Amino acid sequence: MNTKKHRELRWLISLTRPYLGWMLAGVLLATVVIISNVALLAVSGWFITAMAISGLTGTVINYFTPAAAIRGLAISRTVGRYLERLVTHEATFKLLAGLRQWFFEHLEPLAPARLQYLQGGDLLSRIRADIDSLENAYLRIFTPTLAALSASLLMVLFLLFWSPAIALANLVGLILAGLVLPLIALRLGMHSGKAMVQARSDLRQRTSETLRGLAELTLYGNPTQRIAQIQTENTALVAPQRQQNRIDAASGALSGLISQLTGLGVVVLAIGLVQGSVLNGPELVMLAFFATASFEAVAALPVAFRAFGETQSAAQRILDLVDAEPAVTEPLTPRPAPTQFDLEFNHVSLRYPGSSQWALNHISFKLTAGQKLAVRGASGSGKTSITNLLLKFWDFETGDIRIGGCSIRELNGDTLRSLCTVVSQQVHLFNTTVAANLYLAKPDASLDELYEACRTAAILDEILALPQGFDTEVGEAATQVSGGQMRRIAIARALLKNAPIVILDEPTEGLDATTEQAVTSALEHLLIGRTALIISHRPTLLTLADQIIMMDRGKVIAVDHV
Amino acid sequence: MVHTPCRSMSLQSDAYAHMTNPAVPKDKEHTRHLDLWLRAEAKLVRHPLNAAIILGSFNGFLLIAQCWLLANVLNDTAINHQPLSSVWGYIAGIIGLFILRAGLNFGNQRFAFEAGAQLRTELRAQLFAKIDLLGPAWSRQQRSGAVATEVVDGVEALEKYYSLYLPQIQLAVIIPAAILVFVFPFDWVSGLILAITAPLLPVFMIIIGKQTEKLNQEQWQSLARMGAHFFDMIEGLTTLKLFNAARREAQFIGRIADDYRLQTMKVLRIAFLSSMVLEFLAALSIAMVAVYVGFRLMYGDIHYLNGIFVLLLAPEFYLPLRGMGTQFHARMDALGAVEPIIDLLDTEPPAHSTGTQPLSLTAAPDLRFEAIEFSYPGLESGNTPVIHRLHLTLAANTQTALVGVSGAGKTTLSQILLGFLKPQSGEIWINDKRLSAIDPAAWQAQIAWLPQNPTLFHGTLAENIAMDPKSSGPKFSGHGDALRAAAANAHALDFIERLPQGFDTLVGERGQGLSGGEIQRIALARAFYKDAPVIILDEPSASLDPESERLITEAIDRLTTERTVLVIAHRLATIERSGQIVVLEGGQIIEQGEHDTLLARNGSYARLFRQYRSDGL
Repeated sequence: MNTKKHRELRWLISLTRPYLGWMLAGVLLATVVIISNVALLAVSGWFITAMAISGLTGTVINYFTPAAAIRGLAISRTVGRYLERLVTHEATFKLLAGLRQWFFEHLEPLAPARLQYLQGGDLLSRIRADIDSLENAYLRIFTPTLAALSASLLMVLFLLFWSPAIALANLVGLILAGLVLPLIALRLGMHSGKAMVQARSDLRQRTSETLRGLAELTLYGNPTQRIAQIQTENTALVAPQRQQNRIDAASGALSGLISQLTGLGVVVLAIGLVQGSVLNGPELVMLAFFATASFEAVAALPVAFRAFGETQSAAQRILDLVDAEPAVTEPLTPRPAPTQFDLEFNHVSLRYPGSSQWALNHISFKLTAGQKLAVRGASGSGKTSITNLLLKFWDFETGDIRIGGCSIRELNGDTLRSLCTVVSQQVHLFNTTVAANLYLAKPDASLDELYEACRTAAILDEILALPQGFDTEVGEAATQVSGGQMRRIAIARALLKNAPIVILDEPTEGLDATTEQAVTSALEHLLIGRTALIISHRPTLLTLADQIIMMDRGKVIAVDHV
Repeated sequence: MVHTPCRSMSLQSDAYAHMTNPAVPKDKEHTRHLDLWLRAEAKLVRHPLNAAIILGSFNGFLLIAQCWLLANVLNDTAINHQPLSSVWGYIAGIIGLFILRAGLNFGNQRFAFEAGAQLRTELRAQLFAKIDLLGPAWSRQQRSGAVATEVVDGVEALEKYYSLYLPQIQLAVIIPAAILVFVFPFDWVSGLILAITAPLLPVFMIIIGKQTEKLNQEQWQSLARMGAHFFDMIEGLTTLKLFNAARREAQFIGRIADDYRLQTMKVLRIAFLSSMVLEFLAALSIAMVAVYVGFRLMYGDIHYLNGIFVLLLAPEFYLPLRGMGTQFHARMDALGAVEPIIDLLDTEPPAHSTGTQPLSLTAAPDLRFEAIEFSYPGLESGNTPVIHRLHLTLAANTQTALVGVSGAGKTTLSQILLGFLKPQSGEIWINDKRLSAIDPAAWQAQIAWLPQNPTLFHGTLAENIAMDPKSSGPKFSGHGDALRAAAANAHALDFIERLPQGFDTLVGERGQGLSGGEIQRIALARAFYKDAPVIILDEPSASLDPESERLITEAIDRLTTERTVLVIAHRLATIERSGQIVVLEGGQIIEQGEHDTLLARNGSYARLFRQYRSDGL
């Protein structure tokens, strides 16, 4: 329990290591600011009282030093504060940049097998909101806590020099306002911090699906019920925030009360010491100002501890996500890519986790290089599972898959995927230019190669007819190009990649007849001279195959040699 | 041919700026407009806002009293060497004030929060109402992720404007003014120092703030762009992986975040500078007060009680003004976030029906399109209508198939019938009633619609089928029966019952965990559950394997009997079965009739038919 509880904290601390210099500089500057401020007020109080007594009694005092000190402290306080904020923010942003990259790199091995049940919108909200709220850890948790600690230590040491009783009183006040109160606030705020992150993510998802499915909601939904639902979700966000605000407001008010009572307590103690001639008048005023101002050191702590709950839950979600075991383990000593591209499935079986049914049950087939296999079957019969295995997105339980005689278990996923090219029903074009989407397949492709691929995919003319040709932005979810154009851009991308094995996963589904024809003839060019798996029901595509297998519930139920 | 290829998915900053935010002039006038909008909204929450300000002001007055009492204690003891016993009265008073002020402090913060919370609730309700009003014809063209960010995070970013900025700027005037009133009679020199420096603070704030504001808006946009890019990369992670590009792109993600850091730090360097200047002025003024008061005390110009009282008040005088730096930041965040919100609220809704008449159908209706004319406003093609003088009758209890190449106007026509789009002229008759006179909701209650890509909403399968549990026909005694019957009719019952949690299985926005055929069947179950007399189908079973296709075709047959049906058809089987076939081209009907008749005519339909058949459709 305890180790699990501190997992997030340990992880957060381990992440700071590269930025430790920046972090410590931030803490140091924060301490300087606090001490300057307290000293400024204390010296001022001492100064005017001493000056008043000097005026009343006619004694001469050295007023140059304290007057200069007052001005110097005013400067060191403000400049220190400015530098502190710059330094801590710089550290935070450096960390954020590192964190995003770290996260994406850790997400990559999990795709697509371990991420398929996560929704795009939710995943985004996790990454953005959670990583952003980790900002709290450094700006609002670590720095103020450490600075409060070091400044309090210095201040109590200073007070000890004057009076142990006053030092003790101030220490008690600081502990109450800085430690006890924030800890109580933390305990109370733990729950609402988590609820807020969850509620925000729920609301984001609700909004996004409302937009995507507005037509269905209009036709099938109940408007009153929907408005009630959105209000409920808004309330679900506001309620924990309100709870948090109660805690904040109460702890803020209480901490103010404690600091003022402590200041007053110090005055009372000091009055006694003045009576006993242990202290003089100016020292009394100095200590009064000092004690009251000393609470600036712990002022940020309640907020810091509150942020802790939010940060911890964000860290936990991120860790939970990336801690998933990748679906496939890479070989320790991978073999180089094969040079022969015949493909063999030998009694391959696969079961998805949590399912007792075989997704693939002793599948066997053999293709010599350049041959094409068509796979037919109902949805759920295992066609897509074959693709998942061949691309090493999942691992099979028994049997073996060999390319050019080499088991794919002995190949790196990257090596294997560099041999394969996929054109599927779902084409993802990135929200950037057409050219950038094509160069994805071959970053160093020449312009000629780009044109050639597009010409072969029968998309060149249409691309050139776009407002900015190859530099046209495709838009989010590729709204600027039609479904048929998307497929042919994907085919051009596949042609550019020039991989020896082609996987077609229902590449012409959902297209109208005319578009389908254009896509099919583009595919014919892609298939020339390559080993291919064709998953489709379309007769025109099936005629391209040398063998057809029919699948049902993970088994091959018929084989047809064309 | 000018063309510089971009070799990575990384952000092309100019291109993206253009994508995410259609160049909005960021001038003074514009900012003022945003600020005025935010302030106008504050009227909605003026009660809690005023309560917060009143409590805060009262707290300020008590603070002055408290300083006065403390000054007396210090004067009596430090200067006059009175014993502790003589100042107990003051101390008791001070403690009383402490407690009272703690209470006021609490109340002030609570009211300020409620102001912000109420406003966010109100604004979200407005936004959702607006989205509703803009309707499906609008939402089809939106980027749902971006809108979600606006409605959730954008609205959250406004919170501090109302809970911090607005109450605080008022208190920043009230409290210092009150303190000044007390300082002048006690020591006019200190009063002068405070009075002179105080107006300098807002002046500096405005000068520096101007510059920061522009930078801040840019920063907000770059944050949005970075989010969009990141989302895109994660959605396309599998694609990246297929091209072994994921690790390459990870570098870019780091680099983009680093660019963001550099940009943000540029903003913060100035934003922090403004608060530094403010703090510096404040600190220096306090130092000046201390030094001047000190010397005047030495020369015996003023009494110590006055001096110490002024010194106690000086930091409190600047405290609300110093806080303005933070509040100003809250305002800038709000200004940056509010723009897309205002844009959304100001979006002109597409022309929609304003009819109010009720509609109740006891049987499948006759539907008649009469001289329908429709074009999308603001398209470059200008006035070329998408639907042109279209006449068409859908007889009760028959099925009509719309065929034609993409762009012929099939989808537009179905959207018009659904009431999502309003024709510029012409009328649709439902039996003998004008569609334009009927309340759109009443009409839509009579339609079941199967889109090409159905949306599943986050929730259980049961909730996805029975989206409005009250809408099921009276045929069923209980909700559960209706649900099961709908699922069974859609051939969805088998696979639903095979799921470990059955109808309670949670599904998400894009139906993760369900196959395409299963999603289609859930959508069909939805239609069965609704049991409406009019059915509109968009490309049924266009992307399925034979088994799913057979099941779905069967289910659709069952669904379409004894109803008025319009199908945007792509498959021969569907077309042949339709009593009426309508061939659309360029928004006009070029052929119309039964399959055999049309085939015999050997025109467009016959050509289309031969093409379909050669494709094995």
